[in-house]
Amino acid sequence: MTLISKALVRIANSFVSVLGSLILVFCIIYLLPGDPVLSMIDPSVATPEMIENLRRELGLDQPFYVQFVEYFTAILHGDFGQSLINSDPVLPKILMHFSATLILTLTSTIFSIVIGVTLGVLSAIYRNKWIDILARLVGLFGISMPTFWSGILLILIFSVNLNWLPAMGSDDWKTLILPSLALGFVGAGLIIRMVRTSMLEVVNEQFIVTLRAKGLSERVVMYRHALRNALIPAITIIGMNIGEMMAGTVVIETVFSRQGIGRIIADAIMAKDLPVIQGVIFFSAIVYVIINLLVDLSYSVIDPRVRRSH
Amino acid sequence: MKKWPNWTKTLTVATAFLLLLAGCSNGASTSNSEDTSGKESTGGELTYALATSPDTLDPHRSGLAVSVRAFRTIFDSLVVQTADNTIQPWLATEWTVSEDGKSYTFKLREDVTFHDGTPFNAEAVKYNYDRIIDPETKAANALALIRPYKSSEVIDEYTIKINLETPSAAFLSNLSQALLGIVSPTAAKKDGDQFGKHPVGTGPYKFVSWIENADIQVEKNNDYKWAPSIVENDGAPYLDKITFKIIPEEATRIGSVQSGQVLAAETVPPQNIVSLKDDPKTQLLQVNTLGLPYTLFFNQRNKPWNDVNVRKAVQLAIDVDAIVKTLYMGTYERAWSPLSPGMLGYDESLENSVKPDLDEANKRLDELGYKKGSDGIREKDGKKLTLNYVDGSPNREKRNDIAVIIQQQLKEIGIAVDINITKDTATVIYQNADYDLYGNSQVNSDPNSLLDIYHTSDPEKEAARRMLGGGSDPELDKLLEQGTIEHEPAKREEIYKKAQQIIIEKAVIIPIYVFPYTVAASKKVNGITFDSLGYPLFNDVRIGQ
Amino acid sequence: MKEAINSKTIWSAPKWNLIKLKINLSASNLFVYVAGMIVLFIVACALFPQWIAPYSPTHMHTEFILSPPSALHLLGTDYFGRDVLSLVVYGSRDSLIIGVVSVLIGGGIGGGLGALAGYVGGVVDMIFMRFTDILMTIPGILLALAIAAALGPSLMNVVLAVAVSSIPGYTRVMRGQMMSIKKRQFVVASRSIGTPNWRILIWHILPNSWSPLLVMATIGLGTSILVGSGLSFLGLGVIKEIPDWGALLAQGRGYLTTGWWISTFPGLAITLFVLSVNIIGDKLRDMYDPKTK
Repeated sequence: MTLISKALVRIANSFVSVLGSLILVFCIIYLLPGDPVLSMIDPSVATPEMIENLRRELGLDQPFYVQFVEYFTAILHGDFGQSLINSDPVLPKILMHFSATLILTLTSTIFSIVIGVTLGVLSAIYRNKWIDILARLVGLFGISMPTFWSGILLILIFSVNLNWLPAMGSDDWKTLILPSLALGFVGAGLIIRMVRTSMLEVVNEQFIVTLRAKGLSERVVMYRHALRNALIPAITIIGMNIGEMMAGTVVIETVFSRQGIGRIIADAIMAKDLPVIQGVIFFSAIVYVIINLLVDLSYSVIDPRVRRSH
Repeated sequence: MKKWPNWTKTLTVATAFLLLLAGCSNGASTSNSEDTSGKESTGGELTYALATSPDTLDPHRSGLAVSVRAFRTIFDSLVVQTADNTIQPWLATEWTVSEDGKSYTFKLREDVTFHDGTPFNAEAVKYNYDRIIDPETKAANALALIRPYKSSEVIDEYTIKINLETPSAAFLSNLSQALLGIVSPTAAKKDGDQFGKHPVGTGPYKFVSWIENADIQVEKNNDYKWAPSIVENDGAPYLDKITFKIIPEEATRIGSVQSGQVLAAETVPPQNIVSLKDDPKTQLLQVNTLGLPYTLFFNQRNKPWNDVNVRKAVQLAIDVDAIVKTLYMGTYERAWSPLSPGMLGYDESLENSVKPDLDEANKRLDELGYKKGSDGIREKDGKKLTLNYVDGSPNREKRNDIAVIIQQQLKEIGIAVDINITKDTATVIYQNADYDLYGNSQVNSDPNSLLDIYHTSDPEKEAARRMLGGGSDPELDKLLEQGTIEHEPAKREEIYKKAQQIIIEKAVIIPIYVFPYTVAASKKVNGITFDSLGYPLFNDVRIGQ
Repeated sequence: MKEAINSKTIWSAPKWNLIKLKINLSASNLFVYVAGMIVLFIVACALFPQWIAPYSPTHMHTEFILSPPSALHLLGTDYFGRDVLSLVVYGSRDSLIIGVVSVLIGGGIGGGLGALAGYVGGVVDMIFMRFTDILMTIPGILLALAIAAALGPSLMNVVLAVAVSSIPGYTRVMRGQMMSIKKRQFVVASRSIGTPNWRILIWHILPNSWSPLLVMATIGLGTSILVGSGLSFLGLGVIKEIPDWGALLAQGRGYLTTGWWISTFPGLAITLFVLSVNIIGDKLRDMYDPKTK
């Protein structure tokens, strides 16, 4: 298969995934108990009649399949509808908040790669030395501390105590640092582990042994050959984790009072605000799909074996 | 392979280091924080952290206290209530009440304009009140406050007559509330549903922007000269701008004040109140809110909570003092009555009237035939005595923690408490009434607010929203009805005292605490004041160096 | 995960005899033994907390509210006056339940689906993979949020939410393993001598493919507790008489400046648990994976 036709198949599959996730979410939300109408109107003053009218106005009195068809017809026309809670149009709302979340996700990912790969490589090279132990400890804290906790700790240290960085907000790049650190640590923990393990595996492989035997210096062997091969699992993790990173923003954006889609969707889920939930899922699914396409492509850049096998 | 002592050592050191850094924060101080509060200055921007996001900035549609904190800067009311519960002029200069108490005639100020240039006059007031009762507006709390409003008549440009369905002693007090603030008719007509996103009023500050989950900005209204008597500055505010930042996470909110990223933050948790008291850079402002204190309601629709004796036993077993002392560390006052202290008619005689008495509580349950089983839980007719305690989420003012303590306290007398935390109180409480005990509070200005909660409910309304408690007491009903129409303050006080006594005596509720609105502010900030309900006012605020 | 990770060696014969831990008190193994003892201790805490904890976890020592670690209360007391050590000891039970049960459910279902997809291939593989792709586009915690919001907060719903959201990860990893192993020589060999499919699956493929699943599961134990903790943070947690570690951590976060011990010790308990399980997991994998020896 050529690279292009493979990419086309991938894109077609991705399209199915995005559509599928929309359908799935639609069904889940439809099954959620609770009445969105009640969260829009204060029932202490509303008569049952008013509630009924509102329900009709929003089309929520229609049977499931009618709502379903109407919703998807609208989406195909680019109409994501309005929030049920405050009648904000969904599309502008998402576009406005999405970029902030995307930037946070990217900086966190970059941070987790930098920290993760560096520490992973160091800990493989200095296997069982104190650097290795320290690196793995950092990784361990990353995967065993909840982000809200490490986030608050970072605020207490770097904002309250040292007064170096802002504790909250999303105004400038400085406000990005602490949340990216808190979020990036989680990914870093996994990457350290992955890179270390696969470096150690690669080191024992035939081609490395051969390279060594050929008299290449240990440093060249490690950085040029072993690392390159060890990066593949790390990249896989990044692809798998990008969704988790975006999900992590649900918590992190609250801790650091950042604008973003994470807070929007958390509120929307609690309020059964279907149009908003759907809109967010749609966009995050697309981002997820794109990132994973890129990840797949990067395999062939990094790993010659994968390139050849295509 | 590896040596474990290295691991543990590093672990311990790393943790200790982090904790040391974090732990220092409460004691930390800076050297250059001389108190400069004496310097008078104008201009500048106040950043003020809110704990939650407003639902809307349309006063007629909002139902949240946090919204009022923001839009009190934008909207004025016809009258103002002072600390001693008297009503003073604001946008109205004087008023008369008809003999039958069913119509009010207001003379309005003639020099007031809305931020958008629309003149303020009788037409504008009529538009406002008609807007609230218009079902299209979907007004909520404002609608409850304006009842029994019927209609308005424009007598001349600056005179308006307001007609009520029935006399209401609470009417003027209710008019003073921000939820009945006056909005610009031009803007409200133009924006309709979206008015709450770009509010226009006559207040000391003009709305600038609202970015969801981030901040709300208002700027100085230079034309302002109609401030109420409760603030010192009757002209335009000193500040150029206020930015309300929305910071839901407690630690972040307090950290933002301590680090100087914001100048003031509301709703300081008790443990931080205690530690901030010694902070040289920060001042604490605290004011008790008025209205109905945080109160636990028994659901009398469910057995056995419809039985006054069972409720009494619970009342005797719950040690409210211990709860308030433990959780609020002396920063919150304990509540004794369905009304908060300072409300008209508040009955001081109820203070210390209820004392925990486990023996008496046990005795009462024994007499009712509830026998302790092997697990220590009482049973009757094969049914365990369990209490379904529902509370809302997130854990506001440590309310969920109250449930945890009550669970332990009631275990002592053999009642099992199931704690259920829900985000969706609209459905669980108000639609399905699926609870035995549920807590709530309300900011309000007049004891007539008891009527909506403790009066036997009208079945038609129950269909849409079930009332808290759901009890029915003819004697209480009669008192509350009298209280609504009685205009003589002394007589009203007597009526409401009796009502409060009945409510406590029959253990309809368990009052827990009076919520103090607490603000932590940099010492640079001067002049934050509070209205009679406990909402902040920013007319007098100045920022020092 | 991609084939690239695991396609490096040709695996030897099946290995089912996992429990062949020889007692070897050399320095290199000391670490593993310590980890093992920690895990055993935590399990003991979960089973017999009343023998280990100094106080009842629900008793509120009202005269000792927020008191720092001392001889009387080794890990201090919380804002109710409850003994933190006792809370951590008793809290181990629900923490382990959340961790272990959700990993078993998630790993079981996910691993099963992945094994089937990888082994059978074709249409089944395509359908399963499309389905996991769909699940993967919806971030785990959102799924967990929706489930918790829909079913209401309870221990089992948290477990379920965490388990469901971890399924696609396990499915992918297991499928990748399957695909690479079924092409290996010993599988091809036993198929050529007519061994039935189910026999090959159970006796040859499964025992050789569990190692990455194990790695995922050891991490999963910790993350499950953390997702539960995140739900508590977002207000969808459970209020129990005895909170699990994640809930303790979430509830104590407001006290970091005034009572750091309330949330720190449950946090350390999670770290210690995850650490120990990971060390043991690594060791097990090393022992049965010839290439890292």
